[in-house]
Amino acid sequence: MPDDLNWAIGGEAGDGIDSTGKIFAQALSRAGRHVFTSKDFASRIRGGYTAYKVRTSVDRVESVVDRLDVLIALTERTIDENMDELHEGSVIIYDGERTTMQNVEIPDEMIGLEVPLQRLAEEAGGAIMANVVALGAACEVTNFPIENLDESLEKRFGDKGEAIVENNKEAARKGQQFVQEEYEQDDFGYDMETTDEDYVLLNGDQAIGMGALAAGCRFYSGYPITPATDVMEYLTGRIDQYGGKVVQAEDELAAINMALGAARAGARAMTATSGPGIDLMTETFGLVAQSETPLVICDVMRSGPSTGMPTKQEQGDLNMTLYGGHGEIPRFVVAPTTVSECFWKTVEAFNYAEKYQTPVFLVSDLAMAVTEQTFPPEEFDMDEVEIERGKVVDEDELDSWTNEKGQFQPHFPAADGISPRAFPGTVDGAHMTTGLEHDALGRRTEDTEIRQEQVEKRQQKVETAREEEDWDYREYGNPDADTLVISWGSNEGAMREGLAFLEEEDIDVRFISVPYIFPRPDLSEEIEEAEQTIVVECNATGQFADVIEHDVLERVDRVNKYNGVRFKADELAEEIKEKISEAEVTA
Amino acid sequence: MSSDVRFTDFKSDKQPTWCPGCGDFGTMNGMMKALAETGNSPDDTFVVAGIGCSGKIGTYMHSYALHGVHGRALPVGIGVKMANPNLEVMVAGGDGDGYSIGAGHFIHAVRRNVDMTYVVMDNRIYGLTKGQASPTSREDFETSTTPEGPQQPPVNPKALALAAGGTFIAQSFSSNSQRHAELVQEAIEHDGFGFVNVYSPCVTFNDVDTYDYFRDTIVDLDEEDHDPTDRDAAKEKILEADKEYQGVLYRDDNSVPFEQREGIEESMADIPDGAPEDAMDLVREFY
Ligand SMILES: Cc1ncc(C[n+]2csc(CCOP(=O)(O)OP(=O)(O)O)c2C)c(N)n1
Ligand code: SF4
Repeated sequence: MPDDLNWAIGGEAGDGIDSTGKIFAQALSRAGRHVFTSKDFASRIRGGYTAYKVRTSVDRVESVVDRLDVLIALTERTIDENMDELHEGSVIIYDGERTTMQNVEIPDEMIGLEVPLQRLAEEAGGAIMANVVALGAACEVTNFPIENLDESLEKRFGDKGEAIVENNKEAARKGQQFVQEEYEQDDFGYDMETTDEDYVLLNGDQAIGMGALAAGCRFYSGYPITPATDVMEYLTGRIDQYGGKVVQAEDELAAINMALGAARAGARAMTATSGPGIDLMTETFGLVAQSETPLVICDVMRSGPSTGMPTKQEQGDLNMTLYGGHGEIPRFVVAPTTVSECFWKTVEAFNYAEKYQTPVFLVSDLAMAVTEQTFPPEEFDMDEVEIERGKVVDEDELDSWTNEKGQFQPHFPAADGISPRAFPGTVDGAHMTTGLEHDALGRRTEDTEIRQEQVEKRQQKVETAREEEDWDYREYGNPDADTLVISWGSNEGAMREGLAFLEEEDIDVRFISVPYIFPRPDLSEEIEEAEQTIVVECNATGQFADVIEHDVLERVDRVNKYNGVRFKADELAEEIKEKISEAEVTA
Repeated sequence: MSSDVRFTDFKSDKQPTWCPGCGDFGTMNGMMKALAETGNSPDDTFVVAGIGCSGKIGTYMHSYALHGVHGRALPVGIGVKMANPNLEVMVAGGDGDGYSIGAGHFIHAVRRNVDMTYVVMDNRIYGLTKGQASPTSREDFETSTTPEGPQQPPVNPKALALAAGGTFIAQSFSSNSQRHAELVQEAIEHDGFGFVNVYSPCVTFNDVDTYDYFRDTIVDLDEEDHDPTDRDAAKEKILEADKEYQGVLYRDDNSVPFEQREGIEESMADIPDGAPEDAMDLVREFY
């Protein structure tokens, strides 16, 4: 296990929890430490418990664990909410002078640090800096060089002027000094080694937005919804620099149809939403496929059904993206498994969409969307980005796609299923596209033979893609182990770390993380080789397990979580262990 | 090339399946004339159609075209125009398509004021589904699903448009072909969202709002010395529930289209074949 530290700040929504947490996370990242953040938040803006958690280590960290070493508690409830994760020796920093915190009782085995956050902040120039005082105190407790905090404060407050920045630096130092002077125990046992690495810190939604820009996305339309809104907020403004635009539509029906229109005009276009929004878009999935329009539709999943738990984790929309819509819709479903993969899979999604002229579902989840994670910047090496636009024809090439009357055939049933696209404005390329069944010219038909031919043409695109692309997976653990664990989406990190926990108990596991849902890698050999297969996912029914079972016609075991919280590494390891022993009993 | 474009160039070789006498023939002819008259060619025109008898229009015209799902033609048109402002975008559909299932989009398309033209073939009935009440049907109009009549007042689309900040609101009658074509032409030439509600009678299912009815009642605004740039005068005319007008009801000569305000000038279709030159800056932002 890497020598890591788990740190959190918690209080009421509106207390500046997020920005304070972010300042610390950024300071750690700039000091060359890896960071993995998570948020506890409720679906309201003011009031209600909320926390920002940071796990940090010099080694890469990829999941949350059930342990909290240092907690800044702005409310008494913060302590209660986190009691399960606090342990012997955990440090709790709180403002004992605050009226609501005067009767706080810290359990004997833990260390309560009473720091007059507000008073010290006022001395430094304003009560508003109380959280920064707490950060200074946390630096002292964890042995983290406070200079690293300075840069992060500059970044956060720089545009508010020099004086504000200086006051904040001063506030942090007051917190640090207070702990130094008032608490004799000057070493709490933390070693916050720094390195020369310069990491970047970003979340899954931002990575998707960045991937879209790298891939040449020029038009984005969406309707705000948690947890997909960050994609839109990231693109807003930034996309303009490249000649593109974000449009906030009146609803999701408009959002997907605008994106479709832009795609037909030749732009790389995308929309992103979450559960309820995906429902509203469903009718248009068929139109996208039927008109053979390239479109990236991103679903950042959250807890459903209905409005469910909008700020909680779930992977419950897999069936929706795989099967949603009436009739049979050729489509691709791609599901990144890490924050950095959110970037790369977005780039791929645009390429699949244009090469095969289909809807491509980019499926992410809340756990990835709100998690910020550090990466070496090379992980987003822009030179590696390739853009493939597929069969786009210009005036000169048009000829080879016209019929005997010289009419352009946008739905020509080519052997590979892929027909030519002519962007509007191309001379002599004018043509019709429709959601109705149509012939090669795009004109409505109910002719049985043409219908069959066009259905086969569209399906053929999927078959061509199956052949042409690499639908691979990532593998960890021991390839010869009897137990095979498979997961998709954001569970990869927890499972990878879970492997270490299992190893400590001499439990041998082979772990496969699958980023492609449709088409997907053929796992039948792997499953046959294993004595037991366990599929891990954040939903109650095992939607991916169903798909895999269907592929191999063999019953698989399932580990499911559906309380709204992502898997934690240690907890997941425990569940896997249980499944393995259950199998041994029945064997 | 535009100078030698004739209106028949906008005609496809597909024979319309509209009922003989349907108002949509005249509506379509006027649209094609107006497009040719304004110097557009099929290759730089994009027609988006809704679902309904009216929505078939995209099939019978020749241009770049998309026939989408019921009620969502306007957002598609907005997407097309924003992605390529050099295209002439025309959206067409029925009163059910535009004012019922698509009513939300209508209001927002009007207030967004993208430079495009929206032609609604208002026959005050659902034609394609064989004769049910539409949002513009009269309160007492008996149909298969409203045997006593809808029992609710019809929507007033021109009032909705004016209230939503419309910058060009016109009314035409498909049978007054010359006038209808002129009005569509004016809508195309308008800088912003040009909205034309067209009385386009359904000869099969609507025996109340017929050619005769419109012919007898319609009044041309030109005869009334209506000043279309006077918003209050427009409001008065539009709210006269018992009057059928043809002409431009309202026109804002200071209208600036949305895409222009947003600074979109070029087609978004051209992109580099890799990430942009300065793409690593996007990453560095996260240091
Ligand atoms: C979501 C959806 N609901 C219902 C329909 C069935 N439908 C097709 S056309 C139409 C009404 C058309 O009326 P209108 O827009 O007035 O056009 P018209 O046929 O009169 O020209 C309906 C309800 C559909 N295609 N899609
Ligand atoms: S049913 Fe009515 S609207 Fe439809 S084609 Fe016939 S006349 Fe026209």
